[in-house]
Amino acid sequence: MIVETVGFAVVAVVLLASSLAVVLTKNLFHAVLYLAAALVSTAGIFLLLASPFLFAVQLLLYAGGVVTIVVFAIMLTERLVGERIAQTSRDIVNGAIVAAAVLVAVIGFLVQAPAMTPPATAVAEQTVAIGKALVGPFAVPLELLGLLLVAALLGAVYFARAED
Amino acid sequence: MTLPPIAFQALMAFIVLNAILVVVAYVTLLERKFAARMQSRIGPYYVGWPHGWLQPIADALKLMMKEDVVPDAADRWVYNLAPIVFLVPCLLIFATIPFAPGLGVADLNIGVLFFLAVSALEIVGLFMGGWGSNNKYALLSAMRAVNQIISYDLPFIFAALVPVVLAGSMQMSAIVGAQAGLLGWFLFYPVIGQLAFIAFIVATLAAENRVPFDILEAESELVAGFRVEYSGMKFALIQLAEYAHMLGTSFLGALLFLGGWLGPGPAWLGPVWFLLKALVVFLLVTWVRWSFVRIRVDQILAISWKLLLPLSLLLLMASAFVVAFGAGHGA
Repeated sequence: MIVETVGFAVVAVVLLASSLAVVLTKNLFHAVLYLAAALVSTAGIFLLLASPFLFAVQLLLYAGGVVTIVVFAIMLTERLVGERIAQTSRDIVNGAIVAAAVLVAVIGFLVQAPAMTPPATAVAEQTVAIGKALVGPFAVPLELLGLLLVAALLGAVYFARAED
Repeated sequence: MTLPPIAFQALMAFIVLNAILVVVAYVTLLERKFAARMQSRIGPYYVGWPHGWLQPIADALKLMMKEDVVPDAADRWVYNLAPIVFLVPCLLIFATIPFAPGLGVADLNIGVLFFLAVSALEIVGLFMGGWGSNNKYALLSAMRAVNQIISYDLPFIFAALVPVVLAGSMQMSAIVGAQAGLLGWFLFYPVIGQLAFIAFIVATLAAENRVPFDILEAESELVAGFRVEYSGMKFALIQLAEYAHMLGTSFLGALLFLGGWLGPGPAWLGPVWFLLKALVVFLLVTWVRWSFVRIRVDQILAISWKLLLPLSLLLLMASAFVVAFGAGHGA
């Protein structure tokens, strides 16, 4: 239990610090690296919650996939523009107000919730359970998500088509 | 064995890590000897008798004593951190590989997925190095790397998932268990097995940035790619990471397709068989590397998106059909 608490504290601090750094750093490339750190520490939280499957998927899709694509986008646009692009924080005050409002709402929910729910008993075959759920009760939402992604892909192709 | 599980795991991790480092050092010698023979040379010969067997140790000592140069214009933090970020995933992938029944750091029930997920992190270190060096060659190389990895990660994953589907488990020991018996290896699985193995090898070549897919370190265009500014121990770490990843992928290939530690003889021969099979996969990749020339960027992308990705997806679907409707030897 103590190991878990200390582990959670460490991961949470890293996660919060790197998330803040993502939005506050001027350097776009550093922002991506902090984003990678934030995504990896999110994976760490899944690990602390005894969900190795989600841990691996988080690493594979986010830290491996999303970060790679964001880097790709930055490198391509910098080459197109021909100069380093800096991250600006013009609306930092408005953003802070919105973030504070969301934080208050979240804390409101947490206050109403029972103080400590007992940790869910670990499912023995969690991976199998997730797989069965995805082809069973959640089959239709899964297919709809696929449809959404295909639509997004088609949209990207439409925007990227050669002008004629 | 009366050790508590966590102590046993820590001990295994220590042993595996050190064994891997030694094996990786000698794999470089193996590759150099192999390449030399293919080109009618002798290869490293003078350091250590017979046949220059001390060469890797001499190389390591030399690299440790070299001056560590940091370019003035480099992004210091990113530049210095990159080799470490590059190395850690390459060593972590060995965590789930069992070298014999019960002989491994952690035989997770998501073993294969863990391997794929952790090795996907390698790219972060790579573009950190390419970008942090603040060098045109390094940056171009990193761009090409990102390009290539986006294209070849999916075929690699799909090809590796074929044995997973056939075995009905992501646990490495269960996958080996499903390949027991004469011609039980997934390589011998009719049609699907061979095609999946070919797709796996091609995707491995690309993922390891080896000729014919080594556009990101193309010597004639980019000097040495993203590592051009690195020297001394940092260079050594990058090389170490690349070979460790290559070796880890060879182990994965031997485990998924060649039946892991299964083989004739007593049980204690298991790790030996496994190592030999992994070396066969490694030499197969090396053989291709020293036989072909580099191909163009557009050809690399075309091979991935137009050939390898549809093929591996088809194989995955075919194996799923076999398991669902046929008499597959899986679940």
